[in-house]
Amino acid sequence: MIVLDLIPLALLGGLLGLDVVSFPQAMISRPLVAATLAGALIGNAASGLLVGAALELIALETLPFGASRYPEWGSASVVGGAIFASHPDHPPGSMVLAMLAALATTWIGGWTMVKLRRRNAVWAAARRPALDAGARGAVVSLQLLGMTADFARGAVLTAIAYLVLAPIANACVHLWTIDARVSRAIVVAIAASVAGGAAWKLFHSTPGARWFFVGGLAGGLFLLFAR
Amino acid sequence: MTTAGPTAPTSAPVLPVRTRLAMMLRLLAIQGAWNYETMLGNGIGFCMEPALRLLPGGVHAPAFKQALARESRYFNAHPYLASVAVGALARAELDGEAPERIERFRTALCGPLGSVGDRLVWAGWLPFCSLASLAVFGSGASTAAVVVFFLVLYNAGHLGLRFWGLQTGWSHGLRVASALGNPVLRQGPQEIGRLAALATGIAIPLALGRIIGPGRALLGGVLIAVALGAFLIVRLQSRVEGWRLSLVVLAAVVLYSVIR
Amino acid sequence: MTLLLYRIDDRLIHGQVVVGWGQPLDVGFIVLVDDSVATSDWEQELYRMGVPPNMEVYFNTVEDAVRELPKYRSDPRKGILLTGNIETMRRIAEQAHVDAVNVGGLHARPGRVQRVRYVFLTPQEEQELRALAAGGVRVTSQDVPGARPIPLESLLAGVEE
Repeated sequence: MIVLDLIPLALLGGLLGLDVVSFPQAMISRPLVAATLAGALIGNAASGLLVGAALELIALETLPFGASRYPEWGSASVVGGAIFASHPDHPPGSMVLAMLAALATTWIGGWTMVKLRRRNAVWAAARRPALDAGARGAVVSLQLLGMTADFARGAVLTAIAYLVLAPIANACVHLWTIDARVSRAIVVAIAASVAGGAAWKLFHSTPGARWFFVGGLAGGLFLLFAR
Repeated sequence: MTTAGPTAPTSAPVLPVRTRLAMMLRLLAIQGAWNYETMLGNGIGFCMEPALRLLPGGVHAPAFKQALARESRYFNAHPYLASVAVGALARAELDGEAPERIERFRTALCGPLGSVGDRLVWAGWLPFCSLASLAVFGSGASTAAVVVFFLVLYNAGHLGLRFWGLQTGWSHGLRVASALGNPVLRQGPQEIGRLAALATGIAIPLALGRIIGPGRALLGGVLIAVALGAFLIVRLQSRVEGWRLSLVVLAAVVLYSVIR
Repeated sequence: MTLLLYRIDDRLIHGQVVVGWGQPLDVGFIVLVDDSVATSDWEQELYRMGVPPNMEVYFNTVEDAVRELPKYRSDPRKGILLTGNIETMRRIAEQAHVDAVNVGGLHARPGRVQRVRYVFLTPQEEQELRALAAGGVRVTSQDVPGARPIPLESLLAGVEE
């Protein structure tokens, strides 16, 4: 099954990896979307969305500011979404393992983005005389080469990560000993903690934002317990 | 004594629709060759190239080649608001502004376009859309509804900003600083910040409630853990990132559960 | 409060400074020290557009900045002092006490060699950084608060990890 799923997932990972920075940055690479699409490919979009929402809470903290190094969520969310969706009954530990796989992939993904950016600089240096002469072919080909390489980066990363991490996750699910409810609660607590911390960092200096947050929280808690 | 600023623009010449469309499409790929040396400089040249073809003599003339070489050098800004630079610099090149003036203007434009874009989009619009979508998710909406809501909401702002930037840059040319005083750019991050804070308050408990599923009995404990965890992450900021901390904690949980 | 950060960054005011550092540290003002920008109205207008309405920007020449430093340091708000090159920061440090300097971004130009992702230096600039350190200033490189600060020796050796 893992091998059969590999090619479509790798292509999706390539497309979503490309969206993170190169093209078109429409945020189809955000975990909420990317993990859902991966889940849909496996045949269980709702599971993809569930793990995507948990990853999205964590991703709120890592926004792509300037030239800083940040994790790559597109390909990683495909891996996490696919692993969770391939366990449609959601056995104990499956969400923890899917999240861990996604976080590990996002870490490697950030590193591959740095490598690609350095490779783009090498390709640019090789074309320097033509670029300095204003050759349109050099400008256009450099752009297309960078995007093609980024697509390949995302696809290879997704394929390798899924190929390695999905069997490990499957094995770990069988050995899992923590109660299902507690396992899920751990994931939720971690993800929501990161989101809360991220929101504070982003909005605490905005005048009045604290009151908006308190008002929202009161409404959110009311809706949660009223259901 | 102050240095002379850019001169007042004459009315903007009409940019052919085909050229404008080509530039708009290319703007979506402006970061395609992003690297640590020229950053998105090559992307600026790539996006302006369709407009530069209108220079006297076309693509084989020295004017075209000099302009393209100049515009493909180092540039750094927010990718969406770089559209302002693309429009303004294309206008300046076609107006025949002096190269020294264009280069000085180009350099000065980097920081403000980066800063405004980061505040408005990365620290404002994106987290707001993400949190609003998580609130929709937490309220029990269908899978498709959550995804469509996020993509439509986010990209309405995203594509609107790119389009506005290109239009504004082209209309104002080297006088584009005045357009950056637009209330949406000045006050927008603050207003969006407030809305995002509201969305945070609504989204976190609701999303948490839906993800936790069968563990709902533990909800009280989880909420306390979230408050403590968020406090810890805020205290640890600038020393450790939350996603790294999550990775370590989840790895420890897996090891504990599998090995014991 | 005080000046929390003395940063060298050729992009001057941009996202990493305003959002990356400014928001989590609650920065209330930025002192932009650049002899050329301090005399250019239109550049100042552009840079002012880059900061939120509740953040103030002071444009100073090196002389003005050194004279005004006690005022900035006793300001109740938190602040960042920003220069676009090493030479400007060195001139400030020669005339006023500076504890630590953050190299936040110096990008590719002819004659510069890449040291880490976001720092490219000429041999002259390397000497200037060494001179700053020899004068008792702690020089590190760090683009955003979440990244690990890179000590000067590692920076010059090109060791980022």
